[in-house]
Amino acid sequence: MVRITFNRLSVVRDPWSLSASGTFNEGVHLVNGDVGSGKSTLALMMAGLLPLSGGTIEREEITTTMLSLQFPELHVTGLSVAEECASWGVAPDEILDAIGLTGKEDASPLSLSRGELKRLHLACVLAQDYDLLLLDEPFSSLDCEEKVKLCAQIGQKTQGITIIFTHEQNILPRVKRIWEIVEGTLFDCGTPPDAFQHWRHVPPVIEKLIALGSPPDNISRDDFLEAVCRIQG
Amino acid sequence: MQDPRIRIASAAVLSLAAFISLHGAVAVFLWWLVFTPRLQLAKRIRLVFSIILMIAFFSIVLELSGGGGLSYFMRMTVIVLVGMWIFSEQKSGEFLSIGVWLFGNRSGFEIGMIAEMGMQSLVSVTTDLDRIRMAEKIKGMQWKVRSLVPAGLVLVHGALARAEDTAELLAIRGYRNGGTVCPKFLTLPIDIVAGIFAVGILFFTWIPVSEFFILYR
Repeated sequence: MVRITFNRLSVVRDPWSLSASGTFNEGVHLVNGDVGSGKSTLALMMAGLLPLSGGTIEREEITTTMLSLQFPELHVTGLSVAEECASWGVAPDEILDAIGLTGKEDASPLSLSRGELKRLHLACVLAQDYDLLLLDEPFSSLDCEEKVKLCAQIGQKTQGITIIFTHEQNILPRVKRIWEIVEGTLFDCGTPPDAFQHWRHVPPVIEKLIALGSPPDNISRDDFLEAVCRIQG
Repeated sequence: MQDPRIRIASAAVLSLAAFISLHGAVAVFLWWLVFTPRLQLAKRIRLVFSIILMIAFFSIVLELSGGGGLSYFMRMTVIVLVGMWIFSEQKSGEFLSIGVWLFGNRSGFEIGMIAEMGMQSLVSVTTDLDRIRMAEKIKGMQWKVRSLVPAGLVLVHGALARAEDTAELLAIRGYRNGGTVCPKFLTLPIDIVAGIFAVGILFFTWIPVSEFFILYR
């Protein structure tokens, strides 16, 4: 089974530092934390793109890794949208049709709006299966409708480890485990709904539902709706 | 070096001294060895090695096509080393303070702000370039000359987008011209010593010292 383990991992950039210990098993994980807490740094370290100051990362049966950076333009290597799709090894027609960008094959990827480029980038990334998929702020630049679609796509992933690094609080997919970076340390909050007790920055909607005596089972919109229905009887 | 006024003035005179002659470049290199944290700088700014490689390429072309390549290489490399030192020591807000200290709260503020934005842009471009190379690695692509075209487009696009954002932000906040800053500087004795040596190097590079000695021969 695929697995990634942090053994007293640390990175120090005086005066800022980040430490992490724990194991990520197969499934979708959420790593939550404030802006600047170290989510992107942790993602880069998991992808093996940043050196560690201390500790080790053990990767078990992970042969393919993909990291989606927060800013999609940094991934652009094609001079046209079609070329960009090809650089990811996917057929342009299929992808562009799915994200509503048909007819823009010859346009420069940089001429797309940030939202369009993000959709294109995520569609290319999610078109393939990876043992370890790291999504750094996948919801940024997307409107609510697109966020919901993305959650559905992530929810369909049945194999490998998918880790979402985000400060998004409202629209999230159903996850197996919740992690949180607080004051330079990665904490394992556990599995939902028990994780809500340990999640320091628990979304307000979950807090409210707990206060009303109807905690959601997980963190997706469907779970929130189900919890609300429970209140109404 | 703590005082940005002495640091920038030193960098200006040292660059000029290195550019004027090979002797000047050697003297500036010695100054760089004595007064800067050298290797730590080189580790932090990896881009410098690529720039030096590029200078080496042009120096070889120059040497083969008419001579003077070695002198060019040494002088330009020393100037790059000085630039690397200035870039790594610079702290946010220093250009603004120097601008206001030199030219006051109106034009000085504007010159300082433009310089700050330039430095900020340089830092962003360096970070973006690192990330672009990481992104290519993620895609399983190797860094080639052909990669420069899309990477360059992304960098220029990013710099223009940031400039536009900044301009809009300033306009929204009602910025018209000038501003108020009370500059404060910390000057250490070593800063003054380094500054005096820097000016001394330019002085001895500029004046024809050899001819001066010939008179007394």
